[in-house]
Amino acid sequence: MLQQKDSKIGEILRYAIIVIVLAAVLFPIAWLLLTSFKAEADIRVSPPHFLFTPTFENYLYVFQKANFLSFIGNTLLDAGVSTIFVIVLSSLAAYSFARYNPGGGNILFFILTTKMFPAIAVVLPYFLIFKTIGNTAVGKFLQIGLDKPGALIISYTMFNLPFAIWLMVSFFQDIPRELEDSARLDGYNRLQVLRRVVLPLASPGIAVTAIFCLIFSWNEFLFAYVLTRTTARTITVGVESFFTLRGILWGPVAAAATISVVPMLIFVLILQRYMVRGLTFGAVRG
Amino acid sequence: MEPAVITQTKPIPRTQKTVSDKWYAFWLIAPAMAIILFFALVPLFYAVDVSFRHADLTMGGLQGWVGLNNYRAMLHDAKFWETVKTTVVFTFFAIVVEMVLGVAVAFLIYGATVGKGIIRSLVILPLATAPAVTGLFWRYLYDLDFGPFNYFLGLLHLPQPNWLGDIHLGMTSLIIFDTWLWMPFVTLIVLAGLQSLPKEPFEAAELDGASTFRVMRKLTFPMLSPVLTLVFILRTIDCLRLYDSVATLTRGAPGDTTETMTYYLYRQGLVFFRMDFASTMALLFMFAVIVASGFALRPLLARLAQRAGSR
Repeated sequence: MLQQKDSKIGEILRYAIIVIVLAAVLFPIAWLLLTSFKAEADIRVSPPHFLFTPTFENYLYVFQKANFLSFIGNTLLDAGVSTIFVIVLSSLAAYSFARYNPGGGNILFFILTTKMFPAIAVVLPYFLIFKTIGNTAVGKFLQIGLDKPGALIISYTMFNLPFAIWLMVSFFQDIPRELEDSARLDGYNRLQVLRRVVLPLASPGIAVTAIFCLIFSWNEFLFAYVLTRTTARTITVGVESFFTLRGILWGPVAAAATISVVPMLIFVLILQRYMVRGLTFGAVRG
Repeated sequence: MEPAVITQTKPIPRTQKTVSDKWYAFWLIAPAMAIILFFALVPLFYAVDVSFRHADLTMGGLQGWVGLNNYRAMLHDAKFWETVKTTVVFTFFAIVVEMVLGVAVAFLIYGATVGKGIIRSLVILPLATAPAVTGLFWRYLYDLDFGPFNYFLGLLHLPQPNWLGDIHLGMTSLIIFDTWLWMPFVTLIVLAGLQSLPKEPFEAAELDGASTFRVMRKLTFPMLSPVLTLVFILRTIDCLRLYDSVATLTRGAPGDTTETMTYYLYRQGLVFFRMDFASTMALLFMFAVIVASGFALRPLLARLAQRAGSR
């Protein structure tokens, strides 16, 4: 009885702190959302207006003046395709590292070192690489080249791979080998074991990794800024155009930011359930 | 008959790797490695080449070899060292705050009974925003006249600082923004790690009547350490290469108190077009990080080898 009361107080305290954390985390986003519906006159005022007539003028501005639909399509294409590439390549590689450790840790370390080279120093060589590839027939056919989606897809695949491999190795390590061994004894070959036993068990880890890859490429700025001009522009670069001589246009910035956050939000919510420790996971460990 | 039965029940010696294991392992990593090798080594060789040349893009682009002159120039550049110091200070404080808060919040959510999924989705929302865009928006939040932060501080009769203008505050404002952006990253990964921990040791400990503190110290943290190390290293590397937040939120200001090394690198390369200096700095930076992280990663890699070897 006493213990139950004790844990109840603990529970209340826990939720109180969670509410405070959530408030701190969500406040900037809530303010962003609010600002996106404010007219310019309601934005640059002190004290801030909490009651105001909502307006869609910022959204209209974003879609009419900034050609945002094409930015959104490009971003979706680049982030989506590169995430699929990354997940396929990195889950194979990470499984190999977790089980067989090829290179005795050296290869894995090398992979991480590629993340240590500052992106700004990488961008110019990439510019030259894609300029060259873009002029070849293959480059034209596969849409790889400057101001083409292929260039960004490859760039994002490259810079998410090291991170994805490292993240997934730790998830694959947690899968008990006994399961794989017994599946082998049941007559599965290696690839079947990987596909039917290992990958399903690693799905929480794969989901988490996929979320990050998608978000990172969705939000990437520098490569998109340097490797695109007009047709392949992405959202983050498009927002740059709201820097004007009059200063930063907060309303359109907020509207554009809101538009760019919503798809990620939906995506995260969809993948939530894979992140929840699956029934199989519990059963296996028990 | 007898020996045959024994060999069948006896597990295959686990330290022995068959040749086909090696090839299998190789083919699994081959596609990823092909991409990584090409797209990592080409820029690297390019940078090495440029770092030994005179390369002022405003005046004739790539020119003749100058030996180690660029390295000498950078190592004697007081500004370079200043930005290195700024980067280290930022990284240290940002990592401490993000790790402590991130892990604490992960435990809070892990223990929650109701609405775990919703809480988790809400906490990781900042991750879904683009630093390049939100950094811009945070300027508005921090704004001296119209910013909501100062408005609420005013309501509470607290001082209303000039977040982005005060020389003593710029770094703090940057760290607060970075924490808001990346603390959820730590939380999400640690939470995933917590959720994949096996249950039995904890049930056993509970049956033995071990205290919560003891369970945390003896079970949870040791079992979580690979995940914690991983997050720590990923975050450290990202903090050291911090660019987006500086470029959009502070632009190195006030003064040059938040000018990190990568922002200086960016200005050298893409504002002053001194690719030689930029490449040299990038290589020096990478070298320093590799050396430092080599030490930090040793335990993790050793553990990996041991686990993979214990097959």
